[in-house]
Formats: sequence, C-alpha cells, structure tokens
Amino acid sequence: MATVKINGKEITIDDGTLILDAAKTAGFDIPTMCFHARLSKLASCRVCLVEIVGQKKLQPSCVTPVMHGMEVLTESPVVKSARSSMIELLLANHPLDCPVCDKGGECELQDITFKFGPRQSPFGDNKRRFNEEDYILSPVIVQNANRCIQCKRCVRICAETVGVGVLGSIERGAKTGETSFVREYLDCDHCGNCIEVCPVGSLMSRSYRYKSRPWDLKGVDTVCVYCGTGCQLTVQARKDEVVRVISKPEEGINNETLCARGRYGYSFINSIDRLLVPMVRMGNTLEPTTWEDAVRAVRNGLSEAINKGKKIGGIASSRLSNEELYLFQKLMRGVLKTNNIDSGSRWDTAAVKTYAEIMELSKGGLSIYDALNTDTLLILGFGISDENPVTDYIIRRISGNKKMNIIMASPRGMKLDNSAVLSIRHNPGTEGVIIGGILKLIYDKNINSLKNLGGKDYLKDLSKEKVSDITKTAWQDIEAASGYIMASNTITVAVGSDVLRVPSRIEFLRMLIEALRILGKDVKLFPLFDRSNQRGALEMGVHPDILPGYNFIDGDGLGADGIIDAASRGEVGALYLAGEDILSDFPDGVFAREALRQTKFLVVQDILPTETTEFADVILPGSSHAEKDGTFTNGERRIQLVRKAIEPLGGKADWETICLVAKALGIKNMEYSSPSEIWDELAGLAPMFAGVNHKKLEPDGIQWPCPDIDHPGTAIMYTEKFNRPNGKALFNFREHIASAEVPDDKYPLILSTGRRRQHYNNGSMTRRSNAIFNQWPEESLELNPFDARRFNIKDSEKVLASSRRGEMEVKVHVTDRVQPGITFLAFHNRDALTNLLTNDALDPVCKIPEYKSCAIKIEKLNGHK
Amino acid sequence: MLSEKAVKEIEEITTRYPVKRSAVMPALFVVQKEYGYVTEEGMREVAKILGLRPILVFEVATFYTMYNKKPVGKYHIQVCRNISCSLLGAEHVVGIIERKLGIKVKETTSDKRFTLSEVECLGSCGTAPMMQINDKYYESLTEPMIDDILKSLK
Ligand code: SF4
Ligand code: SF4
Ligand code: SF4
Ligand code: FES
Ligand code: FES
Repeated sequence: MATVKINGKEITIDDGTLILDAAKTAGFDIPTMCFHARLSKLASCRVCLVEIVGQKKLQPSCVTPVMHGMEVLTESPVVKSARSSMIELLLANHPLDCPVCDKGGECELQDITFKFGPRQSPFGDNKRRFNEEDYILSPVIVQNANRCIQCKRCVRICAETVGVGVLGSIERGAKTGETSFVREYLDCDHCGNCIEVCPVGSLMSRSYRYKSRPWDLKGVDTVCVYCGTGCQLTVQARKDEVVRVISKPEEGINNETLCARGRYGYSFINSIDRLLVPMVRMGNTLEPTTWEDAVRAVRNGLSEAINKGKKIGGIASSRLSNEELYLFQKLMRGVLKTNNIDSGSRWDTAAVKTYAEIMELSKGGLSIYDALNTDTLLILGFGISDENPVTDYIIRRISGNKKMNIIMASPRGMKLDNSAVLSIRHNPGTEGVIIGGILKLIYDKNINSLKNLGGKDYLKDLSKEKVSDITKTAWQDIEAASGYIMASNTITVAVGSDVLRVPSRIEFLRMLIEALRILGKDVKLFPLFDRSNQRGALEMGVHPDILPGYNFIDGDGLGADGIIDAASRGEVGALYLAGEDILSDFPDGVFAREALRQTKFLVVQDILPTETTEFADVILPGSSHAEKDGTFTNGERRIQLVRKAIEPLGGKADWETICLVAKALGIKNMEYSSPSEIWDELAGLAPMFAGVNHKKLEPDGIQWPCPDIDHPGTAIMYTEKFNRPNGKALFNFREHIASAEVPDDKYPLILSTGRRRQHYNNGSMTRRSNAIFNQWPEESLELNPFDARRFNIKDSEKVLASSRRGEMEVKVHVTDRVQPGITFLAFHNRDALTNLLTNDALDPVCKIPEYKSCAIKIEKLNGHK
Repeated sequence: MLSEKAVKEIEEITTRYPVKRSAVMPALFVVQKEYGYVTEEGMREVAKILGLRPILVFEVATFYTMYNKKPVGKYHIQVCRNISCSLLGAEHVVGIIERKLGIKVKETTSDKRFTLSEVECLGSCGTAPMMQINDKYYESLTEPMIDDILKSLK
C-alpha cells in the first residue's frame, strides 16, 4: 500500500495504482484523451499532466504509478496552464466544425475544452487537411480524417481487443493520420468498436450519420439479444424509432465492446415488414384481425386439440425473457397439461442432462473473469469467435496481459487461434474422441493415482492410431495438449453445444475432469451458449424433463424433434411456436415442412414473417427485446435486466400475449401487472433465485445462487470439490459413431454448417439490419485452397454443390479457415437453403440433427449446364 | 509479384533477426529496388512473408521518407534542405536544378530520367551543401559542378 497526498488530501491505495486512478479515488477528475482503461498505455496526448512535488517536469498521470509518500498536484497553476496548452495544441489542427459533426454534444474534446481548455486560439497558420471530404472506410465506418487527434484508441482496440488489426497510423509528424492499409475499403469484423472509442468525430457510424443529436435520444440500458455472452448495451431511440446502440465503458462484462450483431443488429425492430397485426387463416390466406378474435381462435384451436385427445406441443425461442419462458412453460404444463415443451435448440433430453451434469449447470458456474484466472484454457466444441464474439475479445485481452495457455479444438479455424498456444483441427463431430486421446495420455502416465477412475475401461482400446484416424488430428497435437494440461495447476474447460451431439463421447469429458481433480488440479468449468437466453430457457423449465430451477423429472414429454416427428405422423393437434422459426432451424427442411402441414392447428407468435409463419393458422405479433421489460440469464448464469426502449409495436409484449391466451382458456392465476411480478412468482419456486428481484439486478445483474434478499449473489462457485464417489459414476457410454454420412468417391467433401459472426440463427433479424446484411450479401461456400486446386475452382466462382438430397448453386470462398476435404456453409440465409444440403438422419444416439456434417460434391457450372 | 530472387533475399534477411518482423525495413528496400518504389503489391508481399498485418508494413513505409511511395525517374536527386546545407545555399542548389531540368520539387521530368526531392539531413554536414543521386553522394556543390553532374547522367 502507498500513502499519497493529492491536492493536500491524503489517501492510502494499492501500490502500482496510476496517479489518474488515485486522484479519482481522492475525488479529483483529471482529463484524458489517449488513455483507455482496457488498452495498452500510450501517453501521447499529455492532457493528463500533473505536478509531482519535487520533480521538475510534469508527468502524465495515465502511465505514472503512485509511490509511497508522493505528493501530487492536479490543479496547480502550472498544471492548469500546461493542460490548457495541450488542449490548445489538439485544437490547433482540429477543424472545429462541431455544428455539422455527428459527435457534437458527446465529444470528449468538446467536453475537456469546455471544462479545462483555453478560451482562445492564437494560431494563425492554416490547419492541416488530409481530405476535404469524409470518406467511407467500411460498411459501417465513415471517416473524417481532419478531426483525428491521433490518440490511436481505434488502432489499439482493433488490434488488442477485437484481434483484427486493420487500422494503423500512417505518415509522421503533423501529417499523421489513422486509416486502413492504403486507405482501402475495409473487410473487417464491422464491430464498430473503433467508432465507439473514438473520442472525437473522426470515426463515425454510417448508420447513425446525421440522424440525431444525443440530447434528442431516449435510451435504456438493456442486454443484447444475440448470444449467450450477454453484453450490456444501451438502445437509443428518437421518437419511436431505434437509431443506434451504444455501450458504456463501465457497464456489463463487455465494458464498452460489442460485436457487429449487438451493435448493428437493431434495424429489424423498426423493419417495415414487422408483424404488427394478428392474423387468422381463412382458407388459403391469412387475414388481419383483432387481438380478441385472434386469441379466441387460439383458444378454439387449443381446446379442440384437448377435446380430441391429440398431442399439444410448445416450442419457445431462447431469445424470449426468463419471465416469458416461465409463463410459456406454465401455460404448457399447468394449463395444457403437457410436458411437450422445448426451446429451439433441440437438444435431446439425455444430452442436456449429461451436459448439465458434466458442466455442473445446476450448481451455478463462474464469472468469465474468474474462469480466465487460470493456467490453461481449453476451448472445445464451439466456434467462439463467431458465436460469442465478445467472449473472444475478453479472452484475447486478458491473455494478452498474462501468461495463459489457450488450447483451441475445432473443425474450423477462427480468430482466437492467433492467441492460442495450440490449435487442434479435427473432423467435425469428433470432440469427444479428442478429449479421449488427451485423457488416455494422462491416464497412461498416472495409472496408479487413477486406478479408481470411473469408466477407465473405455480407454483400453482407444489407441493412438484410432484417435488419429477418427479425428484426423496429428497425435503430436494431442500430446502437446495433454502436456500443457499436466503442467498446469488450474485448468478451465470451456465447452460449447457442439459436443452435445453425441453424449457417449462427452463421457470422456466427464472422465477427464474427474481424472484431473483426482490428480489435484483445480478444474473450472465454463459452458458456452450460442443463444442469448439459452441458459435461462433451461432454468425456466422450457424443456420436457426440467422444471423451473433445474428440477429434473422423468417425464413423458417430447422435445422439439420429438414434437416435429409426432407432427409428421399426424399426431399433433396443436403446436404453439413462440419466436421460433422452426423450419430454418431444422436441418431437414422438407421433413419439417411436411410436419407443419400435418399439424392440425399452428399458432406462431413472432416479430417477423418467416417461412414458418406461412404455415400458421394464427399469427400473434411478438415483441422485440426493445419493447418489453424482463431478464436474460447469460452463459455465466448472470441474470440481467432487459428494459423497454419503445412501446410494443404490435400492441402487446410477449408475456402479455401468453397471459391473454391463458385467460381465454379460463385460467385465473395468470394475470400479472408487470414482468417483475412474474419474476417474483418464479423466484418463489426456485431456491437459487429466491433472493433476486428486478430492482436488485441494477446495474450489472446478479449471478445466482442468491438464496435470500440480503444475499449479494455468487461470483465464484468453485470452492467445493468434486463430490461424486470415485468410480461410482453412472456411465452411459457408447463407442464413437461415425457421422451418418461419410465422404466417398462420389461425394468427396464434408459439408459442415454453422454461423457467421455477423448473423444470428436463421438471420431473420440480422438480415434486416442493412449495416450487417451488406457484409454478407451472398452466402458462400468455404473451400480449402488445396481442394480449390484439386477441383480447379477459383475464388468467387459459382459452382453447383450437391448432396444425395438436393443441390444448389453457390459462390465459393477459397480460405484456409477450413481444412482440406471440409467445406463450410452458414445457415443464416434462407436463399442459400443450406437446410436442403444437410443430413436428415438424426444422430443415432441423441437424435440431435446432424448440423455439422454431410457429404457433398462440387462441380463447375459451365461444365454442368 | 516480387521476383524469386527478391523473395529469397527477404527471406535471407529475416534470418538475421530474432523475430521476423524486425526485417520489415530492409525488406521494403528490396521492394523499392525491385519496382523503383514501394508498391501496394510489394507491401502486401512483405506482410505475407513476414507474417504481419499489411497495415503495419504500410505504417513503416509511410513513416520514412526514404521509401518512395510513387514511381521515380531513373535518377532520383535528393537535395538536403537541413540546417547546415541551407546555411550554405541548399535553396540555391534546388533552384539551379529546377531551372536546368524544368521541373519543380517532387516532380519527374517527362522523359522519366530525373525526379527531384528535398530531404532532411543526410549526415554529410561537413561538406554542405550536398545532394544524393540514387546511392551516390555529391558534396560541396557549386553551380558548374551541378551542371557537370547532370550532364554526366544520361
Ligand atoms: S469495425 Fe471493428 S474490426 Fe473493423 S476496424 Fe473497427 S474495430 Fe477494427
Ligand atoms: S480516429 Fe479517433 S480514435 Fe482513432 S486516432 Fe483518431 S481520434 Fe483517436
Ligand atoms: S457478443 Fe453476443 S451478447 Fe455480446 S454483442 Fe455480440 S451477440 Fe451480443
Ligand atoms: S491521457 Fe495521459 S497522455 Fe493522453
Ligand atoms: S544538413 Fe545537409 S547533410 Fe546535414
């Protein structure tokens, strides 16, 4: 600890604290320009100069740490005059075109000039000028280089946090400017973080250009709807139109950063094709009607199904709030008396149970920052850079500042590979075998200590050749991974939903965790979720075998795939889809379409028209996350507030609609005045949420367990040791099962599917955001350069891709992100009809549709037609 | 595309440094030798060989004045305009050359033979005023000398 005097005020503070922070603690505000708390230190602007008593020269407080006994002056006459001169120098070349600058009113330069700056500018020289005109730097950025003050925050955030590094400072001296390589139009991540950190109006958002002044905006702090990272953001609306999304420096785990989806994926909210009026089917067409009539039609349809003794099913999207998901399951179970309920991701009951158990979901989890306090981080079964971009940023930033071995295992390359000590490429769907290989090595070296390891017999015939053959991974990589793991004391295992496809292989993960714990290692588990409220959906009981609060039951309910299966046999009398575009989610489009046709009565509650809504008997307009209050639970089990920015455009929030349906069915106990009342009801049912209420969630959310109202929530969970008696674990182990379709001479390539960083699921929301859609106007098939040579195909060439089930024309993108023999296509774009290409066989073990692989061939178009 | 020889040369240069990225400056000179100036393609190739993001190469190339960002004539005349040379008439030297070649500073003669540039101190202050043409220094310049030099460069 160091005791220092700041402007005469004595404080005691941690050694190494920056003078800047110490002064803030003591209550003195020092202006800064180039400083950014989570970026490397630059100290170039000198706006933050302070006087240290006894030192001749003023020192920049943003890089100078306090020392015991130091006496600092932040408001002495020499500091004030130096500071004002520094600001004067920044202004010397600054255009001062504030009246036409988008930043006006929220510009850091304006603010510090007003507060600390000179009241005059004696410079007579011409101002430096780079370009007369603003120029378009990327689909989302417009730049005015003249306003740049060379703080390099944009350069630093792009390289250090986002990990893209396409911005730089060119030229020197007075001519220095920030731009791209040869000022070219950027094909980057389009995350807009460079715009967010630019203190002046140099980098500006194209979509917000000339739209508003900050003081005309009404904003609410809420949570991003696009993935399980759960970034906090502020949605700002002018009148009733959402015009931009910003993020605040000190709020949320994301701290000012967002990805392209979070920042620009809002145009769908005010999209002209929003479903705003309820519709009811009249013969072949859907006719607009009133809410009363639509709800009556829903009641009639559901009642008929009940009366006829037909099955009823409900699938709710995991982008609905906890409150809505809870109500939805209450409607299904309590009113319609069925356990046929699921969220969109269609995980088989056994798979979810195994995953929940292995990842210890019901016990809680740990915060991302605690998870990263580790020696080795193993990321498996998840395209983290694309699925959870901000988690990728956080990992990159933290690992840049400390020693940590990152091991990535995935079929496709991604941005975070650059931060990894080891990137293991494997065949799609063989994650479990990779783990098996690592485990085998560890087991063989520690046979004595691990003699009680449960399931160890399964390792016997797992030879090195077998592992390499199934995974197509070099054995040295597996050896290297086990080496890093064994050399570490703390190991964080971050596992995404890809491993869920075959629970038998995931048992190796259970064994690995147990083995490492027996060997005395601290193993931290970090689940990764692709959808914003996926974890919430499980916790709220939107699953056939889980009641709210992780109460597992052995029910008779069907999951999403089971419901669709039953529907295809004509057994389903009514199906209620809340926010789910089931057709685009289901890999086999033909099969699911037929199932919807066979469903007697289909209610779709959604915000946008999708292929699924075309099959509906009743459409109830949904509400976007910007139109209602509620909560989401992110991957690290943090419950965060979603807040209403504008009134529901269709007139009702989803929770109100669900209550209306319940009321129409004659139910009395489903009337609430607000989502917070719904929360209180569900918190009463689950001890882990008992102490949480909406009010307590400000500003950064709470991590459960939080058993009573005075409890602060739990940030770190892993104090407990593994509690299953060794060797007694129940195993449900099956051999590796090859993908239903392996490549052969006729169809020599593996097609894998997944998502792109800029899009979300079926893309119905993201594709309506011009800023994002512009980036992938046309879906393309990724092909390794080796295969491109082999089939004589050039980059950007259109080819015919076909499988045993269908064919499509598609543009090829030649890239080494995919391994030779493997191709990749995203499933966001309906036009690309990826669905027709994927395998309709459900995985034999857990019935998870084989998203990941099927065999295809590609042919040149000209030769074909 | 850089010639095979140039690529080899850059690769050889990288072996002199503990990290490849340190080779960026000599590598850019190889590019300049190859094309006469630092081309966009050349910068991309250097980035690729050194495993750098292209913007980092661009930063270095634009920072230093000794990398030509535009094509130059067969003879690149760089006249020192720093203090010692200026005191001894560098301005006059520039004026003479401008008159004789009929071009201004930063321009190239229409026959593409000469490009005239003004540069900072070339470390030859003791023999000011001076200029550098391609790799050669010409010192203690007088008008007749400049005349002879230009005539000798065909
Ligand atoms: S938008 Fe993102 S990736 Fe692109 S330049 Fe800015 S920070 Fe870098
Ligand atoms: S563009 Fe903005 S963030 Fe980047 S250096 Fe200039 S002022 Fe700083
Ligand atoms: S990382 Fe996820 S939560 Fe964060 S902004 Fe992007 S999509 Fe939203
Ligand atoms: S903020 Fe400290 S030098 Fe710029
Ligand atoms: S001033 Fe001209 S060489 Fe130094």
